[in-house]
Amino acid sequence: MDGSCCGPGYASPSEAVKAPQEKLLYSIAIYTGTGIQKPDYLATIDVDPQSSNYSKVIHRLEMPGIGDELHHMGWNACSSCHGDEKMSRKYLLVPGVRSNNIYVVDTASNPIAPCLHKIVDGAEIKTKTNLSGPHTVHCLGTEIIISFLGDAKGEAPGGYLHLNKDFEIVGRWENSMGDIPFSYDFWYQPRHNVMVSSEWAAPNTFMPGFDLEEVGHLKYGRRLHIWDFEKKKPIETMYLGEDGLIPLEVKFMHDPNSSHGFCGAALSANVIHFWKSSQDKWEWEKIIDVDNEPHPDWPIPIPGVMSALLVSMDDKYLYINNWLHGDMRQYNISDPHNPVLTGQVWMGGLLGKAPIVNGVKVTGGPQMYQLSLDGKRMYVTTSLFSTWDNQFYPEIRTKGGVMFMIDCDVENGGMQINKDFVVDFGKEPNGPSRCHESRYPGGDCTSDIWL
Amino acid sequence: MNKITIANRNNTIFEVKGTKPLLLELRSQGLDLPYGCQYGGCITCAAKLIHGEVDQRSQVALNNRQINDGYVVLCVARAKTDCTFEIGVESHDKLYRNPFIDPLSPHELKSNIAILKDKINESP
Ligand code: FES
Repeated sequence: MDGSCCGPGYASPSEAVKAPQEKLLYSIAIYTGTGIQKPDYLATIDVDPQSSNYSKVIHRLEMPGIGDELHHMGWNACSSCHGDEKMSRKYLLVPGVRSNNIYVVDTASNPIAPCLHKIVDGAEIKTKTNLSGPHTVHCLGTEIIISFLGDAKGEAPGGYLHLNKDFEIVGRWENSMGDIPFSYDFWYQPRHNVMVSSEWAAPNTFMPGFDLEEVGHLKYGRRLHIWDFEKKKPIETMYLGEDGLIPLEVKFMHDPNSSHGFCGAALSANVIHFWKSSQDKWEWEKIIDVDNEPHPDWPIPIPGVMSALLVSMDDKYLYINNWLHGDMRQYNISDPHNPVLTGQVWMGGLLGKAPIVNGVKVTGGPQMYQLSLDGKRMYVTTSLFSTWDNQFYPEIRTKGGVMFMIDCDVENGGMQINKDFVVDFGKEPNGPSRCHESRYPGGDCTSDIWL
Repeated sequence: MNKITIANRNNTIFEVKGTKPLLLELRSQGLDLPYGCQYGGCITCAAKLIHGEVDQRSQVALNNRQINDGYVVLCVARAKTDCTFEIGVESHDKLYRNPFIDPLSPHELKSNIAILKDKINESP
């Protein structure tokens, strides 16, 4: 129940900002690739400061088998069907990157203890649509689309799975992949009839881990793609080159009239800003460039690895992470061409600036984050992807992941790690697990799109 | 039939026919093994081959360095002879490396992009 009117979500971003404070959050946690022979799970975390269980995992929904590598997730419905009283934000779709299964989790019947509603079988997805390596889930009114990074054999470019509201496979969503070489994340802005997609790599390239040489062999992405959203086909490519090596997360502003959006190029550690010019041309520019940092043990300076990016619901702040450096940053983007750094905090990372935070030794760095609708509380986790964690932060095997909360000053800018909140996934009952993406039952800053 | 010895499970021995991938054969006999994609693309199921020979031609996850270090992805590998393995993360000491600190030589890349040593030495 997160809306005032009829359907799910909120009438507008400014309504969403006024939503009640979140009390629960769902975060996936993995055992895949950790050496612990247990299923990955969806953790419910109590984030109600009045509760005696505040800052604790209060429920764990285990998946039916091992080896999924849960990663990102998305809702069955968002503000894009706010006017549809037959819809509600009830189901969380949780894909397994390695198993190809999509778990549909009912979070409404008992929000504290979600239960498995349906499994869209990974083998069936392969047979019917020739897709594997699921990633981003978005709903489109009553329909759902999920980006996949590979074909059934794990080769690029993958494509998009289309599910109906009962989670049945309709088929491929897109009419054409054009000459897109790779897939990853996507976001759409219907009033401009546009979707933008980014590029990681083929599942067979990124799943086993990161070989730097494969970037030079063009096995990793460096482009953004502009789609004709209604025609479901790509119409234009933005070649980012060295400025945009491994462009991962893509977000538009929440204001449905805005054509401005952002992408974090992970390996270049740059933020790319894109927008539609007054001549109706799509343009892009690099607006943030995080310098590589020297390290005594490294032959070359360490790149930030900007693996995620998030825009606050009021479109005032952009948040980025540098997973290998260990910092989270807040930029004021009131002028999206000229972002202003307004906040920065450190947790973990390889530069040794904050090895211990709130009493927990951090292995990994800030990696995935979710922001409350009012923009004041950001929940941050530290694991990227099992094989990549194992390469850069091998101690994560015994230490597990950790979740922190950052208090964000929405008036004057600024970030501070909250001293009272820490969820140490190193202490989970089945052994150290690794937490990744989080969602709130009432909607959040990476779920809702307005038509 | 081939004998599969698991060195780091008290040298437990399993007999396999070699007609199915080792992951399937060994799990069906009760050995708890990690896995993910089950088609040879993700290395979750990697084990280290100490002795013996396997056919893992259909794997696409391992680079040549990992193969030279003895790694086998059990979800597609079939035993050609008696084999001894170390399994699980205890066997992964050389599987993961920091790619910046310890880069691969051209011949150590995945086989579809590797440049073999004699090719490099050939003058153009
Ligand atoms: S399970 Fe993925 S390579 Fe074997």
